[in-house]
Amino acid sequence: MRLLSYLSIAVLTATPALADPILFTDHEGREVALPAPAERIASIPIPMASTLIAIDGATDRLVGMNPTAKSAILEGILGRIFPEAQDIPSDITAPNFIPNVEELARVNPDLVIQWAGRGPDYVDPITNAGLNLMTIMYGTEERTRDYMTMAATAMGRPERIEALIDWRAQVQAELEARTAGLAQEDRPTVLYLLRAMENLRASGTENNYNAWYHGLAGGRNAAEEMVGGWADVSVEQVAAWNPDVIFLNSFEADLTIDRILNDPILSMTDAARNGRIYKMPLGGYRWDPPNQESPLTWIWTAELLHPDLFDYDLRAEMRAAYRVLYDHDLTDAEIDEILWMDMQGGQANYAQFAAQ
Amino acid sequence: MIGLTDASLSFGALRLFEGLTLGVPQGRTTAILGPNGRGKTTLLRAMLGFQALDRGHRHAPAIIGYVPQHGASQAKLSGLEVVIMGRAARLGLFGQPGPEDVTAAHGALAQVGAENLAELRYDRMSGGQRQMILIARALATGSRVLVLDEPTSALDLGNQSRTLSLIASLGRIRDRAILFSTHDPNHALAVADYVVLMMPGGAVLQGPVDRMITPGLMAELYGVPMQWVRPADPSGRSAMLPAFTGKEAA
Amino acid sequence: MTLTSQDAAPRRGLFSLRPGVFPVLTAGLVLTMLYAISAGRFEVPFGRILEILWARAQDLSGSPETMEARIVELVRLPRVLLAALSGAALAVGGAALQGVFRNPLVSPQVLGISQGGAFGGALAILLGFHGVVLLGMSFGFGLLALILVGLLARIDGRTEVLTVILAGMVVGAFFAALVSVLQFLADPNTSLPAIVYWLMGSFATATWPRLGLAVPGMAFGLILVWALRYRLNLLALDEAEARSLGVNPDRERWFIFGAVALMTGTSVAVAGVIGWIGLVVPHAARLIVGEDHRRLIPASALLGAAYLVVIDTLARTLTAAEIPLGVLTALIGAPVFAVLLRQHFSRAGAP
Repeated sequence: MRLLSYLSIAVLTATPALADPILFTDHEGREVALPAPAERIASIPIPMASTLIAIDGATDRLVGMNPTAKSAILEGILGRIFPEAQDIPSDITAPNFIPNVEELARVNPDLVIQWAGRGPDYVDPITNAGLNLMTIMYGTEERTRDYMTMAATAMGRPERIEALIDWRAQVQAELEARTAGLAQEDRPTVLYLLRAMENLRASGTENNYNAWYHGLAGGRNAAEEMVGGWADVSVEQVAAWNPDVIFLNSFEADLTIDRILNDPILSMTDAARNGRIYKMPLGGYRWDPPNQESPLTWIWTAELLHPDLFDYDLRAEMRAAYRVLYDHDLTDAEIDEILWMDMQGGQANYAQFAAQ
Repeated sequence: MIGLTDASLSFGALRLFEGLTLGVPQGRTTAILGPNGRGKTTLLRAMLGFQALDRGHRHAPAIIGYVPQHGASQAKLSGLEVVIMGRAARLGLFGQPGPEDVTAAHGALAQVGAENLAELRYDRMSGGQRQMILIARALATGSRVLVLDEPTSALDLGNQSRTLSLIASLGRIRDRAILFSTHDPNHALAVADYVVLMMPGGAVLQGPVDRMITPGLMAELYGVPMQWVRPADPSGRSAMLPAFTGKEAA
Repeated sequence: MTLTSQDAAPRRGLFSLRPGVFPVLTAGLVLTMLYAISAGRFEVPFGRILEILWARAQDLSGSPETMEARIVELVRLPRVLLAALSGAALAVGGAALQGVFRNPLVSPQVLGISQGGAFGGALAILLGFHGVVLLGMSFGFGLLALILVGLLARIDGRTEVLTVILAGMVVGAFFAALVSVLQFLADPNTSLPAIVYWLMGSFATATWPRLGLAVPGMAFGLILVWALRYRLNLLALDEAEARSLGVNPDRERWFIFGAVALMTGTSVAVAGVIGWIGLVVPHAARLIVGEDHRRLIPASALLGAAYLVVIDTLARTLTAAEIPLGVLTALIGAPVFAVLLRQHFSRAGAP
């Protein structure tokens, strides 16, 4: 609802100047110059495809994407909201982000989006083909806002991005106001498992987006002693950390909370004993990494870590956000599916998300 | 009894032998004589079964005592261990040598007079010492057929003499067949009863040593004039040497 | 290395099995395993561990209830046992191949078995399989690689050592390329990290059922090589020489290769690709007991088990994060290999 109100104000104040050339600097310091808003955009990074759909509110301008992004869209709710997405080519790149220049040239994009900082193999084929390139850097909230803004600028939709970013800033500020003063001992320890089916891969703290929003939502990284962003840990190490809450990734399709509950060691952690194991929702994109729906992730996390501190109506927030982002009215069944109500509706503090 | 019947072998245009029938009698010592590169080793390999024949048959006992030219060169084992390997053919696939094999190995070492080498490391022995160990290993097989490939060619004069004496003494054992190759007719003269000549062009002649080692046949075999050199002392041994013109003719 | 006998003359025949060495190695392995079971990120006092083990030895039924007991019995015990078994299998596999090829520098990689196993496992992960299917595919493709090597190397009914090595290189390169293809096709969100993680090698996912899956293949391979230990001395001889001693090198080599494929494929299946063990451990074992395979094989097994248990204990205790085993074995193995290589060639040049 708040997002909706920001957007209407933004639309009123925006003055589009479509004829002017578009100039901005990308995450590798490259000057990107477009004669007019990009009408045909090819996106090689995975989460960017759904972000572009959200910024534009439509799939029309997305003319190519990563095969992995496409399968994520078709499997999730976005594929049902935008069934035409299944016709968007996904052979412009291999899953490993090496561009396929022939295919890129064939879809003839005005703009190609690629990861920054991965070396010339990833960008040179694009620039050598004479295509406009914009590179983006993954990781922090600040970079996410940056590249969302860049994409909106390239698409000539500054009014929409302002609303989306104001929404992020607003929710962030609201959460910070409640959690900044929390003492360490009042913050539950949180373990996020990026992998859990076979090996256990935990989030470190360094440049780790998940650790950042766990802190924002009033938690503390159970794995904060770990060096670096991600690392595999032993089950014994998890037992030693004994986290209060465990979040399971939404990347591994077969992963459910039973993985933890059936494990002889992990099932003895405080998180398991107290029913505080949750799988990350899968909405327009997976809620674990930064994306257009991130504020919903933060709210969901905050309500699970500190149900007494917050009183968001997550379902209402989701409906409002999806109306703006995708022009879609979420049904109760769709919300239940995104939040995995069937699987984890019985977990601690999860009843608050149930339909009234 | 080891031998070939009507055997032929050639490599491309090079004919080594054709229609060869050759038997090495038990209780005798036979030498294969010929210059280097005439195929002595190949003939031995054919008789041992390591070299397939183009045509013909080979007959040989299941176990042969074989002394290769360069054997076990990498084995960092004691002399005794190398000799014990001679017992391998009597062990099953999963068998381990037992006390009786050790006893047999010691016996073989005693037969060649090399008990003192039992505990020396094989890869640190001299060429002559290794030769003794390999002969002992061949004896340890217990085979009645002993095949030696150029047993003297890599040795100095003293060791050549010791090896020949050993072959001669082994040949005195009843019912053992010994076959060895050499390029020196005097080595055949010293110990062999029978001689096989690898003639130029692929012909193979065989017969008793006194009928085969003649200046005529030797000249044909080596392609140079050959002659007997008789010692002034009648108890000494005659030698077959090239009749080259040396200092005395000048 | 007071046990070294480089210069001392080996004692006579059968009785050269110096009695002191093997009890020392065995005791060392047992102590290493005990230490490994007592070490870990989760603090369990040593006395408590002995209590837990003692209680379990008294009563094998029932399952552990406390966290401490579960950590010791369900996490550390199977992990230490699996590391020990894999270490023994990899080391014995290396020692056996080095004997057959008469070259201390070869390892299961030369036969393409590791690469074949890696491909099978990676394919299983890509198709979304774990556990038994992954094991089966890894072992199956390891064996397939070996069979391909056998077919390629068999010329005119005979297999020479050199053709086996060349065929192994070809088959290994082929499967390595197939692994790259799988990595290219893999989903960077899900299967690619899983494949990369698995290829780097780890015992982090060791459980009793997984140990149970590993035991038959590894035990059979170990027993087969041990039974052929004297044959290995003979196979190390020149081909014609070995044949004259009643050995059938063509056929008997394949018994060894089959055993090594079984052990390597199984270890790749349960713990990913762990390099260098088969190269480093037999070398150390040779320094201690000499070249005779009757002593080298058991010594390699004991040393390999202890070595991999130590490496794995370091991997899981040094930092909060698991260090990939492949990283540790290479960090230790590569320098040892370099020294070995120099020694090998300086010796080869000496009279």
